[in-house]
Amino acid sequence: MKDILTIIIRLTISCMLAATVMGAAFLVTNKAKKHNEHVNEQRVRYALLGYSQEKPIPESMTLHEIYRYIVSDENSQSIGYLLPGKDGLIFVTIDMAGKIVENKPVQIDEAKVREKEERDKVVREIVGGGKDVSFADQTIVVTENGKRKAYLLDGKFTGFKTFIGVMLALDPQFSLLGLEILEHEEDPGLGAEIEQNYFRNQFKGKSFENLKALDVVKEPMPDAYFQALEGNVAESDAAAILKQYVDHDIYALTGATISSRAVSNGVKGIAKKFAYRLNILDTVLTDEKIAVAF
Amino acid sequence: MANDKSSMQLISRGILSENPIFKLALSMCPAVGISTTVMNGFMLGVAVLFVQVFSSVTISLFKNKIHPRIRIPTYTLTIATWVTVIDLALAAYMPEAYAKMGIFVKLIVAFAIITMRLEMFACKESAPDSFWDGLGMGLGFLIGMMVIGLVRELLGSGAILGYDVLGFKPLLFFILPSAGFFVVGLMMAFFNWIELVYKQAKGMK
Repeated sequence: MKDILTIIIRLTISCMLAATVMGAAFLVTNKAKKHNEHVNEQRVRYALLGYSQEKPIPESMTLHEIYRYIVSDENSQSIGYLLPGKDGLIFVTIDMAGKIVENKPVQIDEAKVREKEERDKVVREIVGGGKDVSFADQTIVVTENGKRKAYLLDGKFTGFKTFIGVMLALDPQFSLLGLEILEHEEDPGLGAEIEQNYFRNQFKGKSFENLKALDVVKEPMPDAYFQALEGNVAESDAAAILKQYVDHDIYALTGATISSRAVSNGVKGIAKKFAYRLNILDTVLTDEKIAVAF
Repeated sequence: MANDKSSMQLISRGILSENPIFKLALSMCPAVGISTTVMNGFMLGVAVLFVQVFSSVTISLFKNKIHPRIRIPTYTLTIATWVTVIDLALAAYMPEAYAKMGIFVKLIVAFAIITMRLEMFACKESAPDSFWDGLGMGLGFLIGMMVIGLVRELLGSGAILGYDVLGFKPLLFFILPSAGFFVVGLMMAFFNWIELVYKQAKGMK
């Protein structure tokens, strides 16, 4: 009996000591981790727009973040957008028929907007009691000298195993500028090949018309196309080869047709929905003469 | 059992005569799984070195307080704590390396070599001796991983530390996990042969 008690006490103390050490390590490293994640996110965004460390993004370009919320109460649902207005953030709510419900200014620090919890709290306060607010997604509008240059969309859809998280870049005509796979758990060597350039880059340059009818074909990929997608060919030649295949459907990965189809359909869905939503938002903004930063 | 070896002897024992990979054949799973390049081997080696040294010293400091019936759970708890610490640190400060070997870092908790050193050495000896022993074993593992990584990277992708030295890829097979077993096996034979030759030469005199 005495043994059991000492064992219990000592194990409890060891666990508490261990927890203290781990907690301290977490506190020390957490800030650096958050910073790294932010830097990485920025890098992915710039890479999609064709910029990198060697080729920094020009000063004239700005990234505006739009957060989409779903506001619902017992008998109605509406969509709320947290937008950068001409002076400060605004929260615009649009009902299902595409009519504006309200437009309110938002008081929140720039840094706090990025923290999901802080942002959600502020949005909840603005919407008012009795309504349920849930975060849907985030879009970035890239402008150059005040003109829209590109859109960056976050998206998630089901793959072969679990969710596949992607980021897309679209130009103002909704043609695809690039696709980046952020997270996935597909099988290594099969579905995980969706990360590879020769698969991802197939989406590059597809116009909105192409995207809407995008399908996957189970055919071997021509070698010239493969080399061009992988970037093994001189740039001028590669452009010609890529152009030749721009209207072609996506070549499925060998042994991973489901993953390939999932990505293709996912990208198609994200682009189509975004184009539809943006159209409504733009109509409302011009009709109501709401000035925004993008 | 008092320890009669000096610090240098403890270190060299870990690296040579009781090398965890080539002599004790412990923790083979990571040795085979991650040693595809020198850099990967080095990173995991450093993580193991850190965990081994800290765990050895911790256990040796608290050896009188550990109830003999629950010593293995206590060891596991200690190792898990230090693994979590280095896991957090790597994730925060070296995200690129972490993305590649994150899962193996968490597996360090189950590495036989660390538990074995705690059970065989740290729970009986003083803290400084445990430190040297842990350092020796950690270095032995680190060097072993780097040597295997060197062979596999050179033969598999024709490069060393990511720099292309051969200009072609001799045998892609060496990158695959199964080749890890071959390389470790051949290395073991090589180490044993050296020891044999060394002993014979000594005996001749």
